[in-house]
Amino acid sequence: MTDLAVVTTTRQVLLVVVTAIQLVLTLPSLAIGPGSTTAWTAYTLLTAVLAIVAGHVAAGRAQLGTAVAAGLTAVVLVASVLATTAQAAGTPLGSRDWAFGLIGWYLLLVLVERPRPLVAALGAHLALSVGWFLHAGNGDGGTAGVVILSGTSFQVGVMVITRVLLRDGRLAAEAAAEHDAARTREELARQREQDLRAGFEGQLGAVLPLLADLADEVVSVADEPTRVRCSVAAVQLRRLFAENDDVPDPLLHELTACVDVAERRGVVVSLAVSGTATPVPTEVRRELVAPMARALAVAGGRAKVSLLRTATEVRVAVVADAPGELPHHDGVPEVVAVETSVHSGLVRSEARWRAT
Amino acid sequence: MAGDVTAVVVDDHPVVRAGVAHWLSTAEPPIVLVGSGEDVEVAWAAPQDAVVVLDLHLGGVTPATAELRRLAEDGRRVVVYSMRADDEIALQCLELGALSYLTKAEGAEHLVQAVRAAADGQSYTPPALAGALAGDRSETRPALSPRETEVLVEWFQSESKEFVAQRLNIALSTVNSHLERIRVKYAAIGRQAPTKAALVARAIQDGLIGLDDL
Repeated sequence: MTDLAVVTTTRQVLLVVVTAIQLVLTLPSLAIGPGSTTAWTAYTLLTAVLAIVAGHVAAGRAQLGTAVAAGLTAVVLVASVLATTAQAAGTPLGSRDWAFGLIGWYLLLVLVERPRPLVAALGAHLALSVGWFLHAGNGDGGTAGVVILSGTSFQVGVMVITRVLLRDGRLAAEAAAEHDAARTREELARQREQDLRAGFEGQLGAVLPLLADLADEVVSVADEPTRVRCSVAAVQLRRLFAENDDVPDPLLHELTACVDVAERRGVVVSLAVSGTATPVPTEVRRELVAPMARALAVAGGRAKVSLLRTATEVRVAVVADAPGELPHHDGVPEVVAVETSVHSGLVRSEARWRAT
Repeated sequence: MAGDVTAVVVDDHPVVRAGVAHWLSTAEPPIVLVGSGEDVEVAWAAPQDAVVVLDLHLGGVTPATAELRRLAEDGRRVVVYSMRADDEIALQCLELGALSYLTKAEGAEHLVQAVRAAADGQSYTPPALAGALAGDRSETRPALSPRETEVLVEWFQSESKEFVAQRLNIALSTVNSHLERIRVKYAAIGRQAPTKAALVARAIQDGLIGLDDL
């Protein structure tokens, strides 16, 4: 339960209580007593405060603004002064004083969510009543004490209950928020794991169909095209294994991995790197490395792999002894520009990515 | 030019000195080795016009850039021959006045061409150095035309000027003059060295580059 809900409910309950006291208890006592104009003015002021608070609650603004609360408190305290001073001198503080208890309830109604101002206003009201009582020279201190105690203790009790409810509400809200955050974290972790798995499956690319074909004996390793497919798959796998390694320069790390596989096949590969490492997103790295990995997979003899990083772009190129034909590539690159050409017996394949 | 091309090799590894000596002597026409040793003193002892093939790491941890600077200031033609494929150090050597920077991964062909070019007071840009120039992000780098940049990158990537010429549909000599223009632009910036000034002056004389381009 939020603070607002607690305050709203408390104020609604207080509205009913105050209305009941004002109509059922106070009105008859005022009507039969020696009603003066001042007393009736105080009564009217209080009724106006009741109407304003009721209006706010009805409009869904149960939490009163500071200005409104201060204004209403002032009006209630004025009514307190009027009602108290309207008593004939010597009137005992008790059943004949219609206003004493009612003013307390009004202060509670107006200031329920502001404990300090409430205590201060109640204190002022109490001091005024007691001061007037003593000034009037009535000696029945015992009765007065009972009246003060019975009137205010109930109101202070309501105030304390409201504070406890507010605190509990906050604790409950915090616990709920923590619970929600934990749920979100759990969900995110699950999603990430799923993404990783899906990513691996997606990146396995040519490997799974190749294994399926070999298992079904649709293709044979005796055929050159199949050997090229195996070679491509080997480079893809090696790059995929390197992809999640925690290294300072992941792009170079992946290139080196691909070069390593080609060198195992007997290709003489030279790798040249220029420029300093720049952050390249995983997706872009895949697309940058893919054309070069494909070309290396089929290269024979010599190959030169180069990585160039300028302020604005990253370029991965391979120039190799031209094979019969570059293997067909799956998927069109989305973020990098790939250019492949053959000149004088050499194949050149380059992937460029604009970093800005 | 008059006379044979002569060279002196400064390297702390005997095997490297022997290897370089062999490459130079078997080149066609052969390059005459007039000195060889592990200390830069052999370079000072050699005639002024001998090309100095200088290893940057002479036994110590710190690169021999101070020696390079003194040699270049004296107008010696230096080809730096280093095991480090580090862009920054390569660019620094050009700044100090080296006519070429080769990594030891680059073979005999590049070294012989670099020494010949240096003997003629010319620059030589092997592929690794082209990569360093193409990846140069320093504030002071000269403005290269898109074509020049493309030639640098293609040369870095393919290590074949014939391939670059075919790819870009230009003559082989045009590839070379683009590379030379780039080096002249680099020679025109930064600290002064006689070798750099000669490079720029000759390029302007030959009409390879205009004053407006610098």
